[in-house]
Amino acid sequence: MNRLTLALAVAVFAWLGTVTQAADTYTPGKPVRGGFKAFAHGFLENNCFDCHDADAAKGDLNLDKLGPVDETNAAVWKSIWAQVTLQEMPPKKKSQVEIIDRLRFSDWIVTELQRVMKDKGGFQAHLDPNKGNFVAHDLLFGSLPKGVRLVPTASPARIWRVTPQEHITRLNELINTEPAFDPAKPGLRTRGDMVPTNHGGELKLYFGTDRIIRWEGGTVAYATAVKSVPGVLSSKRKHGLENYPDFYTVNSSEATQILDKAEDILRYMAYGPMSLVGFPEQITDDPKTYDKIKPKGDIRGTPIAIVYNTKIVRPLTPIHDLMKEEGVTDERLRQTVDFLFEAVTFRPPTQKEAADYLQIVKDSIAKVGKENGVFMGLSAIFLDRDALFRPELAASGKPDAYGRVMLQDWELGLALNHALSYIQPDPQLRKAIVEGHMRTREDVRREVTRMLTNDNIRKPRVLQFFRDYFDYDLGGYICKDAKALASSGAITGRGPTQHYRSMFDATASTDRLIELILEKDKDVLKELLTTQQFVAENNDGTYFGRKNSPEERALAIAAKKIADETQDKKEAAEVEALEEALSELEAKVKADPKNKDFRKSLDQKKKTLAATKKRFANAKKRRRGGGNVNVTQANISGSKIYARVSRRTFGRTNRPDRTLAVVPEGQRLGLLTHPSWLVSHSDAMDNHAILRGRWIRERLLGGGIPDVPITVDAMLPDEPKNTLRERMRVTRETYCWTCHKKMDPLGLPFEIYNHAGLFRATELNKPVDASGEITDSGDPALDGPVENALEMIEKLAASERVEQVFVRHAFRFWMGRNETLNDGPVLQAAHKAYRDNDGSMKELLTSLLTSDSFLYRKVGQSDPLKK
Amino acid sequence: MLQGMAAAAVTAPLFPGLSQAASNKSKPKRIVFFLQNQGFDPATAIPSGMKSSGSLAKAKLPEPIEALEPYKERLHIINGLHGTHTSPSHSAFFGALGGYRGSDGVPPSGPTIDYTLSKVLPETLLPHLCIGMDSLENMKAKPTVANLSASGAGQPIFMHSNPNFLYQMLYGGISQGTIRKRHEAQSSMFDRIEQLAAVKGGSLPLAEKQRYGQYVQGFNDINGLRERLGKVSSHLRRFAPEVDGGYANPKFETDWHDRLLDLGISALKSGITSVLTIGSGRGEIFGSWKGVGVEQQGHNLGHMKQPNNPIWIKIRQYNSRMLAKLVQELESVPEGSGTMMDNTLIVYTSNNADYQHTSGKNWPVMLLGNYDGAFKTGCFTQLDGKRPINALYTSILRASGVEVDRYNMSEQMAAKFDSGTGPIKEILI
Repeated sequence: MNRLTLALAVAVFAWLGTVTQAADTYTPGKPVRGGFKAFAHGFLENNCFDCHDADAAKGDLNLDKLGPVDETNAAVWKSIWAQVTLQEMPPKKKSQVEIIDRLRFSDWIVTELQRVMKDKGGFQAHLDPNKGNFVAHDLLFGSLPKGVRLVPTASPARIWRVTPQEHITRLNELINTEPAFDPAKPGLRTRGDMVPTNHGGELKLYFGTDRIIRWEGGTVAYATAVKSVPGVLSSKRKHGLENYPDFYTVNSSEATQILDKAEDILRYMAYGPMSLVGFPEQITDDPKTYDKIKPKGDIRGTPIAIVYNTKIVRPLTPIHDLMKEEGVTDERLRQTVDFLFEAVTFRPPTQKEAADYLQIVKDSIAKVGKENGVFMGLSAIFLDRDALFRPELAASGKPDAYGRVMLQDWELGLALNHALSYIQPDPQLRKAIVEGHMRTREDVRREVTRMLTNDNIRKPRVLQFFRDYFDYDLGGYICKDAKALASSGAITGRGPTQHYRSMFDATASTDRLIELILEKDKDVLKELLTTQQFVAENNDGTYFGRKNSPEERALAIAAKKIADETQDKKEAAEVEALEEALSELEAKVKADPKNKDFRKSLDQKKKTLAATKKRFANAKKRRRGGGNVNVTQANISGSKIYARVSRRTFGRTNRPDRTLAVVPEGQRLGLLTHPSWLVSHSDAMDNHAILRGRWIRERLLGGGIPDVPITVDAMLPDEPKNTLRERMRVTRETYCWTCHKKMDPLGLPFEIYNHAGLFRATELNKPVDASGEITDSGDPALDGPVENALEMIEKLAASERVEQVFVRHAFRFWMGRNETLNDGPVLQAAHKAYRDNDGSMKELLTSLLTSDSFLYRKVGQSDPLKK
Repeated sequence: MLQGMAAAAVTAPLFPGLSQAASNKSKPKRIVFFLQNQGFDPATAIPSGMKSSGSLAKAKLPEPIEALEPYKERLHIINGLHGTHTSPSHSAFFGALGGYRGSDGVPPSGPTIDYTLSKVLPETLLPHLCIGMDSLENMKAKPTVANLSASGAGQPIFMHSNPNFLYQMLYGGISQGTIRKRHEAQSSMFDRIEQLAAVKGGSLPLAEKQRYGQYVQGFNDINGLRERLGKVSSHLRRFAPEVDGGYANPKFETDWHDRLLDLGISALKSGITSVLTIGSGRGEIFGSWKGVGVEQQGHNLGHMKQPNNPIWIKIRQYNSRMLAKLVQELESVPEGSGTMMDNTLIVYTSNNADYQHTSGKNWPVMLLGNYDGAFKTGCFTQLDGKRPINALYTSILRASGVEVDRYNMSEQMAAKFDSGTGPIKEILI
């Protein structure tokens, strides 16, 4: 062998070695090499053609002629991706694919779909939080097979659009002063809490409601007369995590609306209620002074129907000072720009930003004068990129060997702040950022520990996680059929409006219950799933009550009749006694007409009799119309607490008063059995066992459900005389059952409740069948039949796997993306922190927020599709 | 100011409606929704003695709508739709045009038909314009509110109530005085915002550039619309209403109502828009019409019976005069072998069904125009109360070339609330 031949042989050997190594190792995130022929066809041939070639074509699927990914077969490839990734295919009875081969094939499909669909709407399914469970749980929390090589993790550099709730809360800070946290009355709305939705579930910014001392007309008139503006940023309103960075942008319609509302806000910042009224006299501490000049006629529902007090409660800002002064100076304008920029972006402007906006304001003033120019010019700041998107670009740091840069200073400080809060960083965090103490993992740990232990720093984002995770806040938005609702026992002849309001109240109650559990910070998930407590509002005696069977209803009617008659008799006797006393007095007066004492007593007695008769008549009327014989009420007794509600927006709604009560024994167990969750997972007519089962499968067991094929007509038969379970027989068709077997047996145990969330022992006059089964959970100890939801929840709440799945969802919420295998160590550490600290949410959060996934951003990524 | 502009507008031809009309190859369509609040009692519109479906030719229209007598051959009175699923007591709010549950404070749960049609009809510079009429105090203090129209779930569309602002938006480029100055100041600001936004997109990672690009593109659209409106200013001058004292110094709320209507009509005639939504009472349960001699205002109007009530006769007469004006104005513009009105449909109804505290069992509607021959006219149709207002919207979509069987109604809901599928046969030709 000459030297050249030897050199070539070494080179070939080395190359072969590389190929062998590449074939044996798998690095998550690294693009898979090979085209359809070289890579994918072999996989299909080895694993799929047995059943899906031209001869077999099982399920009418022939993959023989599928060919490379293209626009027309993308749907089939997407389906293959889901089936292979979820380990549904090849079927369990067939020989199984090596894990690495499965992972590689799955990645290849995603890359190809992204490439092919790039200009045709794109392919993002793998980024959807509902597909987060497509990463096998055991690979994240168990041992990895040989050959899987993880790399240090990071999240992508990105911008993150604020949510409608964050946006409204941010703007609310400009015009309303919310009360400080009161440790004696925790639960009441305070500064830093999210702005609650109003009586109808609409997210609105209200102006000046804290100064209203009188209005004309009733509840509707009030709701119309007060100034409010709805949120303008769009949001996906559906089950699950709502807020990944890649979900949203801001469109032109939203931008113009923000600009309009910005002027309203700025005027209120400058002038307060004077910007809302038709007459200056409407601002007075003595409404009678306004009456002197008030226009005649019916002014209900108009801004001139409102009287505001004179106490200034809004924050007084440089905008107020600027408009109070004569003329304008550059210094005052600059001060105003600086203030407003930080108020809406949460960071000070750079010199250039300040100069740019100063110039815009000055130009506007030059064109239309101070009054209009200031408001018009300043409104531009509300549309700054960083007022609507929070950047996590890590542009200034030096990448490490893996192309990662750690966030620092304002980006890191605001990322941490955003993890917990909707308002500006508190002074201590701001100081840390400005003084260069937000640059290390320890810096983050210090601040997050401090913030988590300080109740004055409100943490609406933590609560939002639980809303997103449990989906208990949708009940008021589920449209109910009036008859179906009436037959549930939830309402008694008052129509469904009260039900919707009760559901919004229920959301606030469940919020509070979660906060109480978080305060204890012990076995948080288990407590949420199994607590015996509930936060009750007046109507919850019904909602947490038990629906009566026909026999019980008959007994209740009879008992009510007896009770009513007894009370009628008692009241009649009281009236009779009064009448007798009156007759005696009349006789005395007749006998001694000049006796003043007798005459006085007689007058008093007559008044007492009249008042008593009126009182009893009203009570009788209430008795006749009241009482819900359809329901055995739950006992609401316990300590008095508060829930967070909007300020008065309509009628006698939005009451914060609550009772911390205990659920009726043997009927409820944790949040999943509370009406807020049950109704959120129901439809107009009935329970939604599929949705409930899906929730258990995905959020507790970590299972994945492929998308419903477009060929499926997802309709249950309309059979009023059959139970839901009976009507769901259609899902047992082979074609449907493949997916439905993952959901239905987990959702039907909740049939012990009706679609308004009331407990029931019978359905259609027969004992309720709430049996179900946990199958293929990944934890053999969990699998098996269950009698009802209570038994199922008890089993699930004790499971370590369920805890881990909870941690996965927390990861997704706070990282704003789905986990990858590279995040496995982060997830394991977070779960360990949770478990080692007796189920502490604080420790779980601290672990996540000091992880590489949170701190590092991958920068300088080239387009993988161009490779 | 420029609410409702769709990003797609940027790629639209300037005045596709007009160009198509000029070439006479295809006929553009346009649609107006006119929603009076507090309910539309059918007795104020159905000719006396007319109990069943039939021609209006020999009937005399009742006093409240007698202004429509000259346009009777274009009129179609429909009684017997329902909206029980929309919770219309007081007002169905977004549910009236959405065909889903709505109520005070309830956010829209989907798009409304006016918005949907604006996406279906040939693109115009401003695909959808909403105007709202209310008491003067309300229109001044809250010049834009969103109660009736939506582009999707949780996405309300605002309606314009201050004619000065609306004029600035539509005709700022050809205006004078204060409106002109404000228009220029705002234009300059928008240009600057776009520049600043674009600069901040430069350093973004590739994946984020596209998403942020949509944001910047939004400003491009806004500024582009203004520029394009400016470029066709000579065309717009032919249609722009004259700015008179009623804009700056209205004596009554109706002074502004009239001017808002003028602006709406001008937007249709000039081809700026093809979908106009008019909310008289702005979808709420108040409203004021002092200018036509109705001294009472607000909620009590809804508590009154409407038939033979002098107050409601005045309000309905005012509505009818507005409808007549819309017809007259659209008839005055030639289009193809006929006029604009030949290709127009005006839908008059209430966001409150038949009366204020209604269950929505009856939802009366009047149509004006045959929408290029799609709808029957000159007649009264009595339906059986088993089809929802969604079916009317389905019918309009069908007439607009969209093959749908339902609008905003699932099969499950339909099983409960709709006795049929597809359009309402009785009203289409």
